[in-house]
Amino acid sequence: MSNAHNAGFTGYLQRDLLLAYRRHGEAASPLIFFLLVATLVPLGVSPEAGRLEPLAPGIIWVMALLATLLSTEGLFASDYQDGSLEQMIIAPQLLAMPVLGKVTAHWLVTGLPLTLVSPIIGIMLSLPSDGFIPMMASLALGTGCLSLVGAVGAALTVSLRKGGLLLSLLVVPLYMPVIIFGSATVQAGIDGLNWFAPLAILGAMLATAVALCPLAIAGALRLVSSN
Amino acid sequence: MSMQFESFQQAWDMAGHGPYVWTAVLVSVFVLCWLMQRPLVQHRKSLNSIAVQMRREKMRQATNPEEHS
Amino acid sequence: MGSGRDWTWFHRLGSPRWFYETTGRWLPLLWAVTLALLVVGLVWGLLYAPQDAKQGNSFRIIYLHVPVSFLALAGYYIMAIAGAVGLIWKMKLSYMVMKSAAPLGAALTFLALFTGAVWGKPTWGTYWVWDARITSMLILLFLYLGVLALQYAFHSQDTGNKASAMLALVGTVNIPIIYKSVDWWYTLHQPATIKLTSAPSMHPDMFKPLLVMILAMYCFYALVLILNTRVEILQRERKTGWVRDLARQADTGPDNQ
Repeated sequence: MSNAHNAGFTGYLQRDLLLAYRRHGEAASPLIFFLLVATLVPLGVSPEAGRLEPLAPGIIWVMALLATLLSTEGLFASDYQDGSLEQMIIAPQLLAMPVLGKVTAHWLVTGLPLTLVSPIIGIMLSLPSDGFIPMMASLALGTGCLSLVGAVGAALTVSLRKGGLLLSLLVVPLYMPVIIFGSATVQAGIDGLNWFAPLAILGAMLATAVALCPLAIAGALRLVSSN
Repeated sequence: MSMQFESFQQAWDMAGHGPYVWTAVLVSVFVLCWLMQRPLVQHRKSLNSIAVQMRREKMRQATNPEEHS
Repeated sequence: MGSGRDWTWFHRLGSPRWFYETTGRWLPLLWAVTLALLVVGLVWGLLYAPQDAKQGNSFRIIYLHVPVSFLALAGYYIMAIAGAVGLIWKMKLSYMVMKSAAPLGAALTFLALFTGAVWGKPTWGTYWVWDARITSMLILLFLYLGVLALQYAFHSQDTGNKASAMLALVGTVNIPIIYKSVDWWYTLHQPATIKLTSAPSMHPDMFKPLLVMILAMYCFYALVLILNTRVEILQRERKTGWVRDLARQADTGPDNQ
């Protein structure tokens, strides 16, 4: 009874959240990265609000993307190394469910904190006040996409030793539509236009990703662990 | 249909756009030729390496008659 | 034999030997047609077509840029379809085609970007413009490089093939999304878009050589793809009898037997 429960979505969701909680230093690193690079930008560009303001939506989005990318590499790595990935694959239930559980946990630990911390970064980078709600909305949906698509790359490269760089090459082109619509949402909010439209497209991307990515991830995991 | 340029000099110069057009043309032709000749070379090399390997196998067989009934 | 349709032709298609021998017969013709079309198209476009009213002679680069761009994009789909066929029907030959298509497509994409940049300088004053077409082409290059990198990253060739095929399929789903996104992004920031290719109303005397060049590039693509696949076949099937016979025939060594 509870065994069948644990083997599926909620089981792996709870498991990964617990693991992240235990290794909270590691789990916090994307967040810290986000804050660090947000400090780099004014140092590299200019401290003037006038110069930062037009760039703010894009910068915040690029930083969020990089932070997510950084944490994606470890998504399946430790499970692969200690053999629990194998267990997940040969278990009788649909592989897509545990996969979805793990990716959801990843988002809860990476994307959601980024979304919640983003107003602070917005203030630091002189984001206009009209942009804050659209920014959080776009990050909430967009980082979900990033986690799902990133997981496909992580699954394909999990058995490789220097997988990190290859992962970036594989995944960043696929990230580009997300960042286009993500920062467009924020910009539309700032300009007083209808920001629900690009947000809706992000929502559609997320829905598509939720439907298709777990299948791709499952296929990739089966492939590389039967190696 | 007649040629647009009256002399080679004009064709080379292309009313000032010569360097751009001819750079694009020469690089493209170079890349296309390279793409065509590369598999030809590899084809010959593959056959040769297989032939060499076969010759080596034959020599090994010849010097080790006890291994074969 | 069996009920309904006869699928032997399809499975024969998957035989490397059949492919090698059949293409071998058609290659001389394909070579002749490709080279003829390329030469005719280039000479026609570069020397005989009338120059553009606004862009002058630099527009002639279109005779290289557009055909190469078409094939760069089409080539990705060909590569992905070959990968899909390999995954679904487990055909070795299909993977060999996919493997040949990857570097070819990447080279063409690079060429598209290069010719586009060279064209941009006299026309728009800069070598690089972040317009929808060029940006999409750049992303396409990254997609190709990803497939290439993944192919050679694994010890097992079989795993590399399957992983690349999966990635190519993921990329295929994404290409329309990427293109539409970039297109939308560009019009958002630059309402007065200048299309990078010539104006839609092209004089027929300018358009005909372009058609010839596009046809020439399709033939070129087929030619190089087939040539590369044949090399793959030789290398992968080197232990088989028919390949060894071929090698023996081609052998010009001392003890030719």
